[in-house]
Amino acid sequence: MPMVLLTCDKDIPEREKHIYLKAPDEDTRSFLPLANAPTIPGTLSERGCSFCGAKLVIGGVLKDTIQMIHGPVGCAYDTWHTKRYPSDNGHFQLKYVWSTDMKEPDVVFGGEKRLEASMHEAFEEMPNIKRMILYTTCPTALIGDDVKAVAKRVMAARPDVDIFTVECPGFAGVSQSKGHHVLNIGWVNEKVGTVEPTITSEYTINFIGDYNIQGDTDLLQQYWQALGIQVIAHFTGNANYDDLRGMHRAKLSVVNCARSAGYIANELKRQYGIPRLDIDSWGFNYMAEGIRKVCAFFGIEQKGEDLIASEYAKWKPKLDWYKERLKGTRMAIWTGGPRLWHWTKAVEDDLGAEVVAMSSKFGHEEDFEKVIARGRDGTYYVDDGNELEFFEIIEAIKPEVIFTGPRVGEIVKKLHIPYINGHGYHNGPYMGFEGFINLARDMYNAVRNPLFKLARTDIRATTTSEIKEAV
Amino acid sequence: MTTPSLPSVENLFGYVQKRCLWQFFSRSWDRKENIEGILGIAAKLLLGEPVTLTSPMDRLFHADAKILVADFREHFPAITTLGAEEVKALLQSVKDRLLDLAVTSSKNRELHQNLY
Repeated sequence: MPMVLLTCDKDIPEREKHIYLKAPDEDTRSFLPLANAPTIPGTLSERGCSFCGAKLVIGGVLKDTIQMIHGPVGCAYDTWHTKRYPSDNGHFQLKYVWSTDMKEPDVVFGGEKRLEASMHEAFEEMPNIKRMILYTTCPTALIGDDVKAVAKRVMAARPDVDIFTVECPGFAGVSQSKGHHVLNIGWVNEKVGTVEPTITSEYTINFIGDYNIQGDTDLLQQYWQALGIQVIAHFTGNANYDDLRGMHRAKLSVVNCARSAGYIANELKRQYGIPRLDIDSWGFNYMAEGIRKVCAFFGIEQKGEDLIASEYAKWKPKLDWYKERLKGTRMAIWTGGPRLWHWTKAVEDDLGAEVVAMSSKFGHEEDFEKVIARGRDGTYYVDDGNELEFFEIIEAIKPEVIFTGPRVGEIVKKLHIPYINGHGYHNGPYMGFEGFINLARDMYNAVRNPLFKLARTDIRATTTSEIKEAV
Repeated sequence: MTTPSLPSVENLFGYVQKRCLWQFFSRSWDRKENIEGILGIAAKLLLGEPVTLTSPMDRLFHADAKILVADFREHFPAITTLGAEEVKALLQSVKDRLLDLAVTSSKNRELHQNLY
């Protein structure tokens, strides 16, 4: 089966290049969805903007850093509190939001003075915080505010502060993916190598592409600690700004989210000779494999086996309990990109689920190569899916649970299909052995929830005020 | 008791496709380097030949190859009964297929960009 033109896309036939239904004996040499391409006019995209990719996904996770957003207040508000990445210092990064709150006169006459004043004000108000990431947004990029020059002036006036600028306005790319890219490359070129970390172990890694969603980093950190491995930098879960300046001293870069942070791992390899090891941190089988590979790199295999045995003893019986009950569950994964390929085999092997549809907001063609290699025949693989396509695919494949974000999740709930937050999780963490039990529990509770059956019963009385269907 | 059937190129290729992220790195040169480096060491490990690890990249390929070989032995136990030439030929064929799928015939438009 080649690419698919859904009925709802009859007026935007370009969408056919983005939707693939896998058939037996096909591979990505013949069919690969077009990805990381501009959204087609007429489609209601679920994508975020490029600024969001830099701030919400990566930079905003840092626990000791002011996130100064140079733009209208909405750019700040809409990238605040929409993802749950706690920290061990009282969740500084979740409590506060900073914006220059640009207004029309600032757009007309320039916003640099306002920016400089805002930066000083932020440092004055938070005297213990000495690090800042400064972001441009659409209006401040369009009017050409020179944010790097302002940052230099502020650093000159305050020698104890360090500021990193991310010039990636919302329109810089086709999706949030561009923001990941700009932040990664900017950071490795401007900040890595500017701090020398204290080395406490002969085994040192950077753990890249994990954002401590509901405690993922904290959970994995237990494993690294048990193995005697020093994590120089978590990029960027529960991390300090200066941790990331010392990434050049790690012996190995271990990559989880290759989409949002593969760039920095590639550059650490190119510029500093640090090898890049990609692993999957979700799922029992994958997590064990990842631990084995890291330990094999350092020659500490027995420590890895001991850890895996201890974790299996603790959690495997619970996994088996859920697998028995979730076997054959038809599941859809509509998230950003990498979780499609991280999860499809993990839920199949560890929980017996069948992933019948996957949609990516900002994945690249590389992500589709990975997921089509791992995914099942008869499954839909969709790039930049829109709402009507979701409805049509739901009708075609009848999923019993959908892992997606709250926006799409609220829609599918109205169709009485349970959704699980595939971005921020329902009750995480989901990584590691313990985390996958949390995922299984959320999935079980979703699929077995009796409220969905009750909700399907229409209890409204007849009404004289009918809402007519759109034509 | 039945004798396990000999693993085919299709078996091993399919296994790598489903399990290994290293075949799908960002750029063509990374993919080629990984596929050749890991399968090169995997062949030596399968044959019990000594492996010299001089660089960090050698150690990385060795780590990936070690897990891959353990998996091959677990899932395709008859692989241990193959002679040296058969193992080399089998892994060469797997390597050729992976290079074709992930590099030569890949439709990924970013594969040959000069920058990351």
